[in-house]
Amino acid sequence: MNYLVKDLMVPISEYATVPVGATLFEAVLALEEAQLNFDRSKYQHRAVLVMDGNNHVVGKLSQLNVLHALGADVDNREIKTIRQLDRFGFSPQFISAMEARRRFAGRSLKDICAAPAAMKVEQFMKATTPGEYVDENATLESVIPQFVYGAHLSLLVTGNGEIVGILRLADVFAAVFHAMEECHHEAAGAPSTDKPSGETG
Amino acid sequence: MKELQRLLDRLIQRANINLREINYDATPVIQDLVPLRQMDRFYAFYGISNYHPLDLQFQHANLAGSYFLGKCRVASSLVYKSDVRGDELKKKGDVFKFQNFEIPITRDEGIDIEDSFLVKTLVHNFSHDPESLERFFIKDTISTHYANIHGSPCDGCFLGPFATADLTTLRDCIIGTFSYVQAGEISHMSIKPGTIWVRSPGAFNFFYQYDRSRLEKYIRYTTGSAPTGIFMEVAEACKEDFQNIFDRVHIEHPVAVPDTASVDRYALVKGDTHISDNVLVAQRAFLDNAWMGTGANAQENCYIVNSRLEGNNVTAHGAKILDAELGKNVFVGFNSFLNGRPKTKLKIGNGCIIMPHTIIDAEMPLAIPDDHLAWGMITGPADIQTNTISIKKFAAVSDHFSMGDLFFEGSGKAFVEAFEHRIHHILEANGAFCDGTCSLGHAQINQKISFNTLQPYSEGDLKGLFPTITIRP
Repeated sequence: MNYLVKDLMVPISEYATVPVGATLFEAVLALEEAQLNFDRSKYQHRAVLVMDGNNHVVGKLSQLNVLHALGADVDNREIKTIRQLDRFGFSPQFISAMEARRRFAGRSLKDICAAPAAMKVEQFMKATTPGEYVDENATLESVIPQFVYGAHLSLLVTGNGEIVGILRLADVFAAVFHAMEECHHEAAGAPSTDKPSGETG
Repeated sequence: MKELQRLLDRLIQRANINLREINYDATPVIQDLVPLRQMDRFYAFYGISNYHPLDLQFQHANLAGSYFLGKCRVASSLVYKSDVRGDELKKKGDVFKFQNFEIPITRDEGIDIEDSFLVKTLVHNFSHDPESLERFFIKDTISTHYANIHGSPCDGCFLGPFATADLTTLRDCIIGTFSYVQAGEISHMSIKPGTIWVRSPGAFNFFYQYDRSRLEKYIRYTTGSAPTGIFMEVAEACKEDFQNIFDRVHIEHPVAVPDTASVDRYALVKGDTHISDNVLVAQRAFLDNAWMGTGANAQENCYIVNSRLEGNNVTAHGAKILDAELGKNVFVGFNSFLNGRPKTKLKIGNGCIIMPHTIIDAEMPLAIPDDHLAWGMITGPADIQTNTISIKKFAAVSDHFSMGDLFFEGSGKAFVEAFEHRIHHILEANGAFCDGTCSLGHAQINQKISFNTLQPYSEGDLKGLFPTITIRP
């Protein structure tokens, strides 16, 4: 089966959003609500879109961004120093060990969550970049390289100059899996399963 | 001066092309670095001796106040009050060891400066680039006040004031003010001011970054203005004394210098200063009430004032030691600043390694114990707890270590051994151990150097430019 982006995207209206100026806690809350309210349980929400006053997407806050924010009340200069160490040839193991020691040592989860929860979402969101947009009528095959070379977890889908949805890596993967399954069954002479069922968690 | 202005414009353009990816605009930096009217005020000079190669070529360049020794070519460049010291270059027939390679040197190495602007910069040692062993290149590079380019070929780089590139090949990089980099080879990196980075891939990685707000008191540099701060004040305070040295033809230092020691004709020595055997005092070093024990050295742009060095001390290029007492075998790295007080001298124990670009500014009586490693900013006892460690303890680090703003990954033993080996080599090269039976070092050889001077055009379109000159034996 051939897919277009719009076949697999999550419509923007069903995605969690917060305005610029919202706190990190409000963003996490929006994510939780989106999970609970969305009637098709096959979709798991993993990011919140940050919108400006004109209802334009200006950034994305992923689960990873939220984890990144934890312990942000620790001396910022120190954390900034640690986070640049990869440029200077330090190993990921060393950097994560240093962060754990300098940010989290001797603190409870509740304690490290308290301060970032009140901070503004734009401090931690990832601003959108030109390579993150795809057209709703593009074929799935044509956008796969964008995921691979941009290392994106999701792409913003445009239609008539507006953001109309989100194409998530998990949904693309489900479609790829389905295609592989079809090939396998055809080779074995067995009937294939139906269309991809979307992400399951 | 038309031609000099054209040369300046060309250097600006070349710097901007090389650093465009880091969004660096060299225009205001270069334009205000040194007024062009200064460029015809000073002569250049070079050394000749039986111990050094003599192969100098100057073409389409200004060399105001700069010193050259050994084998060096300067083309289409401005080299202002800099020291280009080619007394440790590789010779034809030498073998350079790199990883598992043993690379034969096919011709005498030369320093090659082209399309570059060096201000009060020291160029020394030999190229450590295994891909360019016979040519120590400095190309399309801007280097500012008191920077050190030490065994570090540079292509398309900017070095801020008091920055040091040490044993590292740099391509299209910015080395920020008072940053020290020793990392083998780097490209397209912008290093923030006050970064101390020593890396030997696969062996160790040492990283410290100054708190900018604490550093600014000592050195502050913003584009479009001259650097300021205590480091500059120390240098500026001696400017007139140095001018006197440069203006006079015959200089007799006011202290006794043993036959085994060397005090450069362009060094400044005053007060109750003592020079012991095997001491080396390089050009542009400043000594005032300094007691130099056997085998101690003061390299270019060092200031040793009201201080005592017991012996076999390395005071690396640009280091400043004021009101301090240093034990034996103390290494003070590049551009370090050790500042005690007249009544409470700063004390550095025997065998200490003061890392390059360390600031110890003793606001109260301070002592670093014997055999300690010190780094970063130390102004009181609390800093001694976070910025020093016994060398023995550090050598026991097997995986990683962090304390205060220092981050270290790798083998402490390899790190300590690398430093100790290098310190020994420096002392040996400087002649600190010379007892008449071993080969001579700089302390014994440099006293045999004679100096000649070179002058630029004094008027017309070529005003400020030096004529094309080739100097050979």
